[in-house]
Amino acid sequence: MKRAFRNLLLTASVVSLAATSVAGAEPVSVTDMMDRTVELENPASRITMIPIPSTSTVIALDGSTERLVGMHPLAKSAITEAILGAFFPEAKDITSDILAGGASTGFAPNVEAIAALNPDLVVQWGHMADDVVGPLTNAGFTTSLILYGDEAKARAIISMLGNLIGKPEKVDEIIAWRDETAAKIEAAVADVPDAEKPSVLYLLRAQSELRASGTGSYNDYYINLAGGRNAAAELDGLKPVNAEQIAAWNPDVILLNGFESELDVSRIYDDPVLGATNAAVSKRVYKMPIGGYRWDPPSQESPLTWQWLATLLHPEKVEFDLRGQIGDWYGKLYGHTPSTEQIDAILRMEMNGAGASYERFAAR
Amino acid sequence: MGAFGLLLLAAMLAGLGLGRLSIPLPTVAAILFQDIVPVTKDWSVLDERIVTLVRAPRILIAALSGAALAMCGAALQGIFRNPLVSPQILGISSGAAFGGALAILFGYSGFMLVGSAFAFGVLALLSVGFVARVDGRTETATIVLAGIIVGALFAALVSLVQFVADPNSSLPAIVGWLMGSFASATWPRLMLAAPAIAIAAIGLYLLRFRVNVLSLGDDEARSFGVKVERDRWIFFILVALGTGAVVAVAGVVGWVGLVVPHAARLIVGPDHRILVPASALLGAAYLVIIDTLARTVSASEIPLSVLTAIIGAPVFALLLRRSRRQENAR
Repeated sequence: MKRAFRNLLLTASVVSLAATSVAGAEPVSVTDMMDRTVELENPASRITMIPIPSTSTVIALDGSTERLVGMHPLAKSAITEAILGAFFPEAKDITSDILAGGASTGFAPNVEAIAALNPDLVVQWGHMADDVVGPLTNAGFTTSLILYGDEAKARAIISMLGNLIGKPEKVDEIIAWRDETAAKIEAAVADVPDAEKPSVLYLLRAQSELRASGTGSYNDYYINLAGGRNAAAELDGLKPVNAEQIAAWNPDVILLNGFESELDVSRIYDDPVLGATNAAVSKRVYKMPIGGYRWDPPSQESPLTWQWLATLLHPEKVEFDLRGQIGDWYGKLYGHTPSTEQIDAILRMEMNGAGASYERFAAR
Repeated sequence: MGAFGLLLLAAMLAGLGLGRLSIPLPTVAAILFQDIVPVTKDWSVLDERIVTLVRAPRILIAALSGAALAMCGAALQGIFRNPLVSPQILGISSGAAFGGALAILFGYSGFMLVGSAFAFGVLALLSVGFVARVDGRTETATIVLAGIIVGALFAALVSLVQFVADPNSSLPAIVGWLMGSFASATWPRLMLAAPAIAIAAIGLYLLRFRVNVLSLGDDEARSFGVKVERDRWIFFILVALGTGAVVAVAGVVGWVGLVVPHAARLIVGPDHRILVPASALLGAAYLVIIDTLARTVSASEIPLSVLTAIIGAPVFALLLRRSRRQENAR
């Protein structure tokens, strides 16, 4: 795993040598995540981002929204309705009318609408069918592809985007933070025997259906990193489950996704079956926070997710100043320091505050 | 018939005893009969809730849905004298699916969802009747074609609803609901669907002899003094009610309405006086068994419509071949 990181980083840093940050005037050559070579005469300054989570990554790498000329409607709503909207009010003027047929979902590009934005770079998913990429390359856009998935891919996305905009030093800073945080957590929970690791269930969906996150997911990665066991480890990927299966797993901790906006921890506490699980009985049901992006999937803020979860799983073993880290790193990533109320909103203190150990995150 | 009844009973009991959470059979029995027989409570709260609040309503909904779909299919196949007819082919399922999806899109659930699914099921059926009625006559083949046309239209409308739905809230709800699952079965949901299904089932049961008459063909049926058009519409409304209620609580469950009546016919013969109740029992048992598999085989729920076809197709193929062989031997 570590070697995989290093190889990916190596590829990215070799190519980044070409992308020195001197006034951003040097040509850039980057190998994207589908092993395609992407070449730009200058670091990208007019980017159309189609993948949703990486849009906030560009903002973090640049410390501004200036390089974005187009983004996915869901990325726009995630940004304008949360803290980045407060940091960068101008984000609401960036168009999100870039999908085929004026759609609000899916990833099929509207090539004409994108052409009208005159982008020097279009970033698109690489794991989907060619019909989301083909129209872009066919129209002659410089297109860079990213893949969604594990921690290695998360780092590769950050590295690729950072090099494309000519900010390799920011990449190094963010990657070093990931290494350092992961190492700290690993050391803190290293002596926890497997039998004492709490079993943790992450629910990607909990309103209309129950969908759990199994082995191979990013949630599985940070549950293990933070010294937990994935209760749904027998599943492969994201799968629908029923309440009885959750009762059979009887998780010690339940994490609710941050995607379903109406979803509240009472969904678990008030359910006759789920409310009888260990997690509900010991008040260890939490909804994932939402910062510059939702904390569930990998992003530039992932080390905060890891610290948050490690604190909840092993409150007696880890000593992170999460609020301090948020303030500190939001300054470094976005150039803005959140207020006490804003941090409360990120951590969803109102909803999660009554949960076990959550007082650790209260403002002092 | 008695054998079908026993099969259903066995399937329901097995369903109560099986699940991802292993609860010993004696405990399940003790939980069920604790108010009648004195037993020591040596089970956990969770065990009891799983049996009484999760498994019991789910099995009952599955049984009712299976019975309703199979009866509707048996009646329609008789009336149309066409073995390929099912509630799905007449566009009723698509109409009900659109009604349900629309209700979810606008944030409704419960009675509104069932009501909307039913209303659009009836609307689809009325459209079929309107399209198929040319110069005051309705040809059977035209009805089937009209059903396909109307079904396609409503299927497109369902896609349209999905297109405009909010991908973080209503879209997953609509997609999950359309896939067909009893995973969200609860007692209140059962109570929601039960009256409509009961009316449809009792109606179809009481009128089952008329299916025999209608299946003789319009002219012959008229010569018996039967008001063909009126009777046919009574059946259509009952079918729409039953199918709409099933779609509303469980989404679109394919295959049962088409194949179970055939399987029953191969076993009990073509007389609808026996075929309709036999289909009901067989359909109920079939769907209970399928749903028990869907929720127990793997940690993840398997979509119902996948199992109904994968398990149903080979069984039906076997039955079909055996009955052909018997006929050839005669």
